[in-house]
Amino acid sequence: MFWEFFSFEIKFRLKSISTYVYFLLWCLLNFLSVAAQDFGPVGNGKVLLNGPWSISYFNIIDGVYGIIIIAAIFGTSILRDFQRDTYQLLFTKPISKFAYLGGRWAGSFVATVAAYTGIPVGVFLGTLAPWADHSRIATGHPWWYVQPFLSITVVQIFFLGSLFFCVAALTRKIFIVYLQGVALFMIYIIGLTVFTATRSLEHFWSAILDPVGIMLSDSVTRYWTVAEKNTLLFPWSGVFLINRLLWGGIGVAALGLVWALFPMSVEALTAKASGKRAAGRKTTEDDDIRPVRSLVAARLPKVTQVFGNATGWAQLVSLTRIRISYILHEIPFWAIVVLLIAFAINNGYYAGKVGGENVWPVTYLMVQAVEGSATLFFYIVATLYAAELIWRDRDTHFDGIHDSLPMRDGADWISKLLALCFVEVSLLFLTMICGVFMQTIAGYYHYELGEYFKELFVVTFPQVLVFSLMAMFVQTVVSNKFIGHGIVIGVFILEPVLFRYGFENTLYLPGQTPPYIYSDMNGYGHFVPALFWSITYWLAITALLGVISIALARRGSDDSWPARFRLAGQRMPRLLPAAILFLCIAAASGTWYFWNAHVLNEFQTAQIRRDIQADYERSFKKYEKLPQPKIIDVDTRINIYPERRSFDGSGYFVLQNKTAEAISQIHITDSRQSVREIGFDRPFHEVSKSPRGLYTIYALDQPLKPGETMKMNFRVGYESHGFKDGSERPEFAYNGTFFDSDYFPAIGYSRDVELGDPLRRKEEKLPALEEMAPRGDPYYQTVNLFSAQSDWISYHTVVSTSSDQIAISPGYLSKSWEENGRRYFEYSMGSTKMADFFSFLSGRYAIKRDRWNNVNLEIYYLPGHEFDLDDMMASAKAGLAYYERNFGPYQFRQFRIMEFPRYRSFAQSFPNTVPYSEGIGFIGRVANPDDIDFTYFVTAHELGHQWWGHQLIGGQVIGSNMMSETLAEYSALEVMEKKYGADQMHKFLRHELDTYLRGRAGEIRKEPPLTLVQREPYVWYQKGGLVMYTLANYIGEDRVNAALKKFLRQYSYANASDSRSGAYPDTRQFVAALREETPPEMQYLITDMFESIVLYDNKALSATVTQMPDKKYKVTLTVQARKAKADGNGNETQMALNDYIDIGVFSGKKDHEQPLYLKKEKLTQEKQTFSIVVDQIPTRAGIDPYNKLVDRVADDNMIDVTKQ
Amino acid sequence: MALKISGLSKTYPNGVKALKNLTLTIGNNMFGLLGPNGAGKSTLMRTVATLQDPDSGEIWLDEINVLKQKNEVRKLLGYLPQEFGVYPKMNAIDMLQHLAVMKGITSKGERKEMVEALLQQTNLWNARKKALSGYSGGMKQRFGIAQALLANPKLIIVDEPTAGLDPAERNRFLNLLSSIGRNVTVILSTHIVEDVRELCPRMAIISNGELLLEGAPSETLHALHAKVWTKVVASDAELQALAAGFNVISTHLVGGLHEVRIFSESDPGEGFKSIEPGLEDVYFLNLFKQQTVN
Repeated sequence: MFWEFFSFEIKFRLKSISTYVYFLLWCLLNFLSVAAQDFGPVGNGKVLLNGPWSISYFNIIDGVYGIIIIAAIFGTSILRDFQRDTYQLLFTKPISKFAYLGGRWAGSFVATVAAYTGIPVGVFLGTLAPWADHSRIATGHPWWYVQPFLSITVVQIFFLGSLFFCVAALTRKIFIVYLQGVALFMIYIIGLTVFTATRSLEHFWSAILDPVGIMLSDSVTRYWTVAEKNTLLFPWSGVFLINRLLWGGIGVAALGLVWALFPMSVEALTAKASGKRAAGRKTTEDDDIRPVRSLVAARLPKVTQVFGNATGWAQLVSLTRIRISYILHEIPFWAIVVLLIAFAINNGYYAGKVGGENVWPVTYLMVQAVEGSATLFFYIVATLYAAELIWRDRDTHFDGIHDSLPMRDGADWISKLLALCFVEVSLLFLTMICGVFMQTIAGYYHYELGEYFKELFVVTFPQVLVFSLMAMFVQTVVSNKFIGHGIVIGVFILEPVLFRYGFENTLYLPGQTPPYIYSDMNGYGHFVPALFWSITYWLAITALLGVISIALARRGSDDSWPARFRLAGQRMPRLLPAAILFLCIAAASGTWYFWNAHVLNEFQTAQIRRDIQADYERSFKKYEKLPQPKIIDVDTRINIYPERRSFDGSGYFVLQNKTAEAISQIHITDSRQSVREIGFDRPFHEVSKSPRGLYTIYALDQPLKPGETMKMNFRVGYESHGFKDGSERPEFAYNGTFFDSDYFPAIGYSRDVELGDPLRRKEEKLPALEEMAPRGDPYYQTVNLFSAQSDWISYHTVVSTSSDQIAISPGYLSKSWEENGRRYFEYSMGSTKMADFFSFLSGRYAIKRDRWNNVNLEIYYLPGHEFDLDDMMASAKAGLAYYERNFGPYQFRQFRIMEFPRYRSFAQSFPNTVPYSEGIGFIGRVANPDDIDFTYFVTAHELGHQWWGHQLIGGQVIGSNMMSETLAEYSALEVMEKKYGADQMHKFLRHELDTYLRGRAGEIRKEPPLTLVQREPYVWYQKGGLVMYTLANYIGEDRVNAALKKFLRQYSYANASDSRSGAYPDTRQFVAALREETPPEMQYLITDMFESIVLYDNKALSATVTQMPDKKYKVTLTVQARKAKADGNGNETQMALNDYIDIGVFSGKKDHEQPLYLKKEKLTQEKQTFSIVVDQIPTRAGIDPYNKLVDRVADDNMIDVTKQ
Repeated sequence: MALKISGLSKTYPNGVKALKNLTLTIGNNMFGLLGPNGAGKSTLMRTVATLQDPDSGEIWLDEINVLKQKNEVRKLLGYLPQEFGVYPKMNAIDMLQHLAVMKGITSKGERKEMVEALLQQTNLWNARKKALSGYSGGMKQRFGIAQALLANPKLIIVDEPTAGLDPAERNRFLNLLSSIGRNVTVILSTHIVEDVRELCPRMAIISNGELLLEGAPSETLHALHAKVWTKVVASDAELQALAAGFNVISTHLVGGLHEVRIFSESDPGEGFKSIEPGLEDVYFLNLFKQQTVN
């Protein structure tokens, strides 16, 4: 019997098309993941696409989406008998429970596993694709395919399948099976958001309890480097093994449960399964058998029929009401509502967490959070109910009555649309309520209902409407609901794919609107016209489709196309005016959009922009080292027109020939296409100009002699015309203009224009990106790291803006006046030299002022964004105090912070001027003592750059970036520590360590040591900050600061006054300065941490305590320490241990430890035991307890102390 | 009102000729449309009910061109399709209210009165607030009847209305129908001969899309007077022999024996007895004739 059920199940699955669809789906997804790396989850870099890690990861990712497939196969296998009522036939036969349940289960299991073999098959086929990137495809080891499939996918099919099977067998309701699948999926996604939003460093329980594997994979492989990802499979040990055993066990338990509880009798099954249904049937039958027997029928009352516009309206209302009532009676709809609320509340709860920082959940963040999760549901409802509404009369066979009702042809279709709109509007309203509710929960009461309304009802609703109209059109036209679903979902999925492959035109991507960003400073600002016209365009087109749908709508029993066309012909006269109207609107708005996005502005796809970059590099890279003069003086008059998002201006550079030879050609790069005119104070002529004027070569009639200076005059400007199809320049806004020296002519070839992404370079047939020059490179050591075209400059500008705004540029305000209804500001740096790095800002600002000694502190902010001002001021003061005392004097008399719109999210240090995005500051909120005060940290970091970056500048060679970023990071860490204490720093540094280790795991080129860093932010920020802080701890903060002070004094303002460019400092001098202050026995730290990649594996093995007679406690602590050196790909070689490492004993609970004993011990062996006597009862002990060293498993360094 | 159908033809894409040049006039009364399954009754009904178009032919309802002025027809129409479903989660009263609005009963009071009267008449009053999906077959059929009678229709098309009704319900329905059947055109399509005999002053038999007979039931019966004979035979072999020699109208099993009815202008002898013709005989005879002609 078992075999009969088993083979029946297998045969059934072999016959049903869905099995093949699942197989092909997995095959296709994984094929594309390998064959088109853009598509897959592995991404760019050097990780093998068919390597062990990649294949494991495919298995996990597919597992997330596969939940529903497993539910579909296992759930239906047992429900089939109950849906088709064959159970009555089945269970009256003598079959054993084992045969029935076992056969069905085993058959489903085998069928599911077979369908899932599409994953390895797809990967394998992908490796055969001729166009795939074969440098990232290895001759695969068969085990790489088999092991992940067995240990991830098969185990998952086993336990999820058993679980679904159990629930299906015991409840016998398909709805509950799917609900369970959806609930699991939902809980999982919520778990993921919680995990990521709280930046949890917990990796044990989250990994073990993860049924699907994303967090499990994160726990196991988050720090895996390229070398590891290409050789290691998930090991059958540790958390991975525990996880598999746990969930495998749950699967077994589910099977046991179904075995124990499943009744094998019709009576028991029906009593439970259809008790309610049977009860319902019974009562109706009761009604049936007591008719009132009056044999003579009474006459029916007379009614009057009225047909006219009022009736037409009443009919529409009644139809709409009946269709709304239908949706509101649907259980799936309420399931969607519950999910929507759950997601909105969950995401809303984390709206006030931005990148781990606690901020106030201002309305734009809250809308983003609640709407972000809800949008998918809006579209699901549109897809689902467009189909249900269109097909409902046919599906229920009510069409005969319905279609012969005396109503206008459009009324029926329009009522369906209205019902769908009503439901969508309700969902949007619900989303808004969730947002307001979560703001209240978070204690933020400044509800901007207008912003909710605009975002949800003015921007989102029309887009949902467009989609709904499209779905209804499709369902009206096609002959089958499911074909319709296929088409609608296909369009939904296809769009981002098309976009990715360069089809970016809003005018032909159905329902597409250009991207926009709401900002508190600007509202929807300049995005409004493009949004408005694109939405109008698509609304008109889909409304036209709606009219066509009404014409083609089925009415009557003849569904053939000739009949429908005949009907459409009869309806057309009435519909024609509307069709023409919509067509005109579509044509007009489309034309207007085209005029703006393609004629007034050049339409550039990402591909075109990359082509331009590549052409530039190919054509002009040869001039890279051409001797060019340096800018030594900048003087400009700039007019900003915020209301037009434009500026123009003129000015001059003083150029000095700082080379040893005469210069006869001046090369100008105009990367922003903002240079309008160039002139020199001597005769010259244009030699060549590249297309778009990106690169222009001028010849001087009289060459510029060594040491000689000349003036270069220019006119610059940027004019916004109309609107673009996306890629609006973020620099120009109605409120919060912020552009920098990029908009001015650059002297010579600019390496900043080069493409960085290795994959894109390969596509453009460019060679690998040229590495930065080595330290000591004769040419590049004389080039300023930040601006190749200058060393230091004098600066003066007059900047004007509209009368309601304030314009800011580096320098001291010497004069401001009004003229012709505009405001003018004159800024000058006087005799103080500054880096050639200037910016212009304009906005409707409020100003907060303060003073620290003789330094003016100013914050220019948007009224309403007062939250962080005191914090910023406090940080600036503390920073100034610390930096002046420890590094040297501040070179300016002012320090200013100004807010700019969140179109870009960073803060950037210009001379005495720090533009600071509203996206990362101004709304910070430090609620708990454990919260990290990012605003304080970022402010101190940017202030630190006034020393490290504006006094000390390195040459354009490898390593130099750390001398600005690492040192600013270190400076900020010290300022932060003074305020928040060492314990808080420990928590902060744990995150820095985590970010560094994840950064190196995701490295797509190779990881350099800190002093050789090129373009690896995780090295110069996180690793740099960590090792500097550790060094300060090992040799003393004073010594590190003394080294920095000395180094700064020696190398600050390099090349500031020389008439010949000399060498800038690099990390060789920096390391030397550190070594000078480092005692001999600690020198290895510099070698390890700065000049190599060294990783520790420290671990507390055991700790026991005995009380001694003198009331003291003796702790016996055994620790393990290992140390390895890694190369750029992550290959490790063990190193001999000869290191000082903290050994500590603590009181207090985990994560709230107070040190009783902390001492650096010299460790030379892998395992060592220490005996430590402390005064109080110890609770925790360990090695490197504060994670000062780079350790991939940071949370096993401490252990609970146990009594002996 | 009178319904004039002339030259109506319909061929479905699969080649089935549902109506073949059918011409028929239906006066202001109950009209029975008899025919076997697949005769083209439903096609004719749906065509008159504006749900599909014929390939050729015309239908006039007094001055209204049914095929062109569909909405005019729909205003006067009460239609009960042969097979229909309901919206599962609606109850009868809400659904009838809705349909009453759709049929242009704009006065709230009239609507209420009519809906309640119909619920009473169709004996659905007690179940009026139950979901339609919970209705039994008979209840659903009664609901269908109720909706067809909303708004005092002038043209009522009922396609197999008594299928699924128990005898008492059938009776009630036929009473109801005949009580409103005055001054109204009612087309009752059925394959149950009894229905027609009880109710319809006029009738037609159609089969294979063709009109076989039209007239008053009494006239058609009269024409057959003394031409129907019956005999009881015991075995299949005898039956076969009779079928070869006579115009067999029908056979019935009575107590294990075959009762055979034949058509004959004169006494066929061989033990046949004369019997009073029934409408059923008319029906079968016409079908039989058609088969032999074809």
